[in-house]
Amino acid sequence: MSQSLRPYLQCVRSSLTAALAISNFASQISERHNVPEIESGASPELILNPLTVSRNDSESVLIEPSVNSVRVSIRIKQADEIEHILVHKLARFLTQRAESFFILRRKPVKGYDISFLITNFHTSSMYKNQLVEFVISFMEDVDKEISEMKLFLNARARFVAESFLTPFD
Amino acid sequence: MSQLNYRTINIDQLDPESSVNFPMETLLPANLPAPETSSDAANVASQVRQLLRGGDTEGALRAALDTAPLGGDDRAKEVHMATVTEVLQGIRQADMTRVLESVCGGDGGAERADCLMKYIYKGMSSSGPSGGGQSPRNTISPQSTGGFSQIQARNVGEGGGGQQMSVLLNWHEKLVEVAGTGCIVRVMTDRRTV
Repeated sequence: MSQSLRPYLQCVRSSLTAALAISNFASQISERHNVPEIESGASPELILNPLTVSRNDSESVLIEPSVNSVRVSIRIKQADEIEHILVHKLARFLTQRAESFFILRRKPVKGYDISFLITNFHTSSMYKNQLVEFVISFMEDVDKEISEMKLFLNARARFVAESFLTPFD
Repeated sequence: MSQLNYRTINIDQLDPESSVNFPMETLLPANLPAPETSSDAANVASQVRQLLRGGDTEGALRAALDTAPLGGDDRAKEVHMATVTEVLQGIRQADMTRVLESVCGGDGGAERADCLMKYIYKGMSSSGPSGGGQSPRNTISPQSTGGFSQIQARNVGEGGGGQQMSVLLNWHEKLVEVAGTGCIVRVMTDRRTV
């Protein structure tokens, strides 16, 4: 693991652990409703100060806590156009299957590539430390995945170009 | 006026009794320090810089955190933010733990730790999501083949601002070790922002 990645992930880990102190909180607007307050935004007093953890300008995590839900948004490193396309495709692939991911949000927050929404129901049915671990390992894996795909794509492009240009040799 | 689509108006915002219009000022404590202006913050900055130049990094950090403009305007907060960043960057990595332990210990040490944590998060968010990350990509025209070359794609491990962020990340890690996770929780819940 690179030198600057470790403190970054450590910072995300401790911030998320702190933010995931959430409890059940029924809507105070409409009776018998229970909505994630960070999404409804109807009661500003229930939304806490957002935290941003960033490694550099192109990689950051935004944590928006509220009384019964936390929204975690990740900006994935995109150095050039190929990576931009790959990140977009990967995020689309995942968000289309958001139902089987439980905490994945269908639409990322503006300015970020992928978002998670963790509510008190998730923290009561899953272990909190493993939820944090999931986000951390996702962040580790996604970088690896993107650079692997990029290498593969370049190798493939080279092969295609070679075989395409063989008749003109 | 006849063009207005009345269904798209959020009528809750027009109702003073509605929860959307909760008076956020009532959440601030009554004993907030008097509002500071940017010139006050600049005075503090020069004092802190003097301490820093004299080699008293510990005293500089202590002074900067004790005089945080919790009740100041945005301009004063920005000036003070620059001061704190300067102090944090002026302390060597080997001295971090020693300085933190003495600054966050003793009388009012917990408040200083919370204040430092607020500044660390503010520092990390300041150059972040203000449209900077997204806009340069869109300016590349679809015809440009520069983005697809492999030559420039190699050395991009660090984007802009990586140096300052890694200083803040190191401070964050050390501060969590010294002051614990509760420090982060207090940053989230405290309405007195820096």
